[in-house]
Amino acid sequence: MDAFLFSLLNGTVYGLLLFMVSAGLTLVFGMMGVLNFAHASFYMLGAYFAYALQGLVGFGPAVALATLLSGGVGVIVERWFLRRVHHHGHAHELLLTFGLAFIIAETIKLFFGNYPVDYRIPPALDFAAFTIGRQQYPMYRVLMAAVAIAMFAALYLLLTRTRIGIVVRAAIHKPRMAQALGHNVQLVFMGVFGVGAALAGLAGAVAGAFYTTNPNMALEVGVMVFVVVVVGGLGSLGGAMLASLLIGIVTSLAVGVDRSLADLLAIVGAGAWAQGVGGLLTLKLSSLAATLPFALMLLILLVRPRGLMGEES
Amino acid sequence: MRASLVVCIIGLVLLAVLPAVLPARLLIASIQMLVAALFASAYALLSGRAGMLSFGHAAYFGTGAFATVHAMNAFGGTGLLPTPLLPVVGAIAGLGVGIVAGWFATQRGGTAFAMITLAIAELLHALAPQLKGLFGGEAGISAMRAPALGLTFGSTLQVYYLTLAWVLLSIGLLYFHTLTPAGRLTLALRENGHRLRFLGYNVHGLGVSAFAISAMFSGLAGGLQVLSNEAANYAVFDAGVSATVILNSYIGGVGTFLGPALGAVLMTFFSYAASDATQSWLLYQGVLFVLVMMYMPTGLSGLFGMSARLVRQRGPRVAALVALLALGAAVLVSAGAVFIIELLQRLCSQDYRALASAATTLPPVNLFGRPWPPAALSTWILPAALLAGGALLAMAARRRLATPA
Repeated sequence: MDAFLFSLLNGTVYGLLLFMVSAGLTLVFGMMGVLNFAHASFYMLGAYFAYALQGLVGFGPAVALATLLSGGVGVIVERWFLRRVHHHGHAHELLLTFGLAFIIAETIKLFFGNYPVDYRIPPALDFAAFTIGRQQYPMYRVLMAAVAIAMFAALYLLLTRTRIGIVVRAAIHKPRMAQALGHNVQLVFMGVFGVGAALAGLAGAVAGAFYTTNPNMALEVGVMVFVVVVVGGLGSLGGAMLASLLIGIVTSLAVGVDRSLADLLAIVGAGAWAQGVGGLLTLKLSSLAATLPFALMLLILLVRPRGLMGEES
Repeated sequence: MRASLVVCIIGLVLLAVLPAVLPARLLIASIQMLVAALFASAYALLSGRAGMLSFGHAAYFGTGAFATVHAMNAFGGTGLLPTPLLPVVGAIAGLGVGIVAGWFATQRGGTAFAMITLAIAELLHALAPQLKGLFGGEAGISAMRAPALGLTFGSTLQVYYLTLAWVLLSIGLLYFHTLTPAGRLTLALRENGHRLRFLGYNVHGLGVSAFAISAMFSGLAGGLQVLSNEAANYAVFDAGVSATVILNSYIGGVGTFLGPALGAVLMTFFSYAASDATQSWLLYQGVLFVLVMMYMPTGLSGLFGMSARLVRQRGPRVAALVALLALGAAVLVSAGAVFIIELLQRLCSQDYRALASAATTLPPVNLFGRPWPPAALSTWILPAALLAGGALLAMAARRRLATPA
């Protein structure tokens, strides 16, 4: 029971983290219709910026600065790269961000080497928050969850309760109309892109210290973030939250399940047959945990292509 | 038409005599170039002609590779399937998986399609190391090329000619496909699927057929690679394989038939040459891709069309001048960029950092045969001058283009 609770909590925290990265992506996706392949690169940039600055200014300011710097890179990418190829069409924009993700990863390897760097939680934050049974739960995980929830709340309030939010939502759903009403849609695009990149950077700066900071971290998270955005429904912040939690919890819980399809078939008396067939049928669910999000994504794309909370297109 | 025929024949002759002039080490690289060319051509049928951007073509390449390695072990290169025919197994496997995957993926267009293909490939990549019986776990599966039809296939030379024959046949078939009504309709599918549906065509069927044919030739390419390597492991499903074929095809230009193959040959050669010379060759590849995407949306092969248009509009003299200026700019800018990247790469390396922390002043970096002190201004003036010179030449070329004749 304790173990179950533990992995449930871990899954929730991981899900919240995924949400932090995917929030910006889903807004940009809803707005431009382009999945930004470089989005997870901002997550990685955040972690590396924070790692590089940590020694100079301390942990807290480093995280804040890394957030700003990632946002700045995001603004540069939108203003001087994406906007230039906009008239070539969506496929072209997608390919450009794909190339940029490549360049960012390789540049990081150039400066920091192709191995994990020593980015750690400061000792002041490295203590147990509470205990479940005999296991202690680290404070830093609680902190990560708090940052994500605070971000969700701030973003939600900003989008639904302020004038800026109205303009942004208008630009996301009806860019032409917003433009005709005299709003600077280009600026809104740049702003949302920058804020999205900054949020991903914040996630990276916070999570990089807990998980490992290495040049492959964008790739690891990147695909998962696409899954979140597709499952949640494009442009839907609530959907992204729901999908993030779902994926975080499902993968975290699946790791602890030592059952296979053969065990399931044994209930109806086909266990021996399944054992004989082997292959997929005898694989334990725990070893399949990494494949579950993709299976979920395929299922959603085929059954409900607009995602859990996406709007009918 | 006649000019392109002549170019093709010259190309074929070159490919046929290549082993006679190349050292053995580069012959293996040429086989990889041929395989990459076929893979890119197959990929471009789907992404270029049919307009469906696939991000998971490693799935079909990998399927073909594993099917072929199993066939090599099962048949031993004798009987019904002698060694030269083994890639057929890869093609059939690619076709089979392509039909199933394509049937699902082509239900949706645009970004959703890209995501489905990505998900299928990632699913396979995550699953493959777990299914030890089928994919040999982390270690993979190895096989031997058996002698067949009086040939031993022990030498790289024979493998080269075998690969060449298969690649030429496949690219020929792919070209034939563009001439058939189905191939023509594939183009229409990219331009306007809705209209095609209203005209009474089975749009989903067309999409599946384009997907399946593309997957079939991708599988064949995978089979050829296995025949050359005599082994396959789950790394053939890696996202990097899918990424490389995208980069290759678009750098070459998916707008023309031979563009992707050209891009693949150039980039594979570039990877062989550059990966020996520098650690950051993937960075160069990425930068090249982004530059092509931003300034040459039709890819390298689009340059031919662009220069032909320039000659027609402005006359050969202006065109030659602009081309010369642009070439000079490209050379200078890349020289400057390469210098900076290589210098940074050495400055950031672990060895240098250890050296620098031990010494009181920053030790000089050895690059291009001479030492460069990193703190000295003179070190940085050279690349800056190269970049500035390149920028000036580029501006001059633009001005020449802007002023009417």
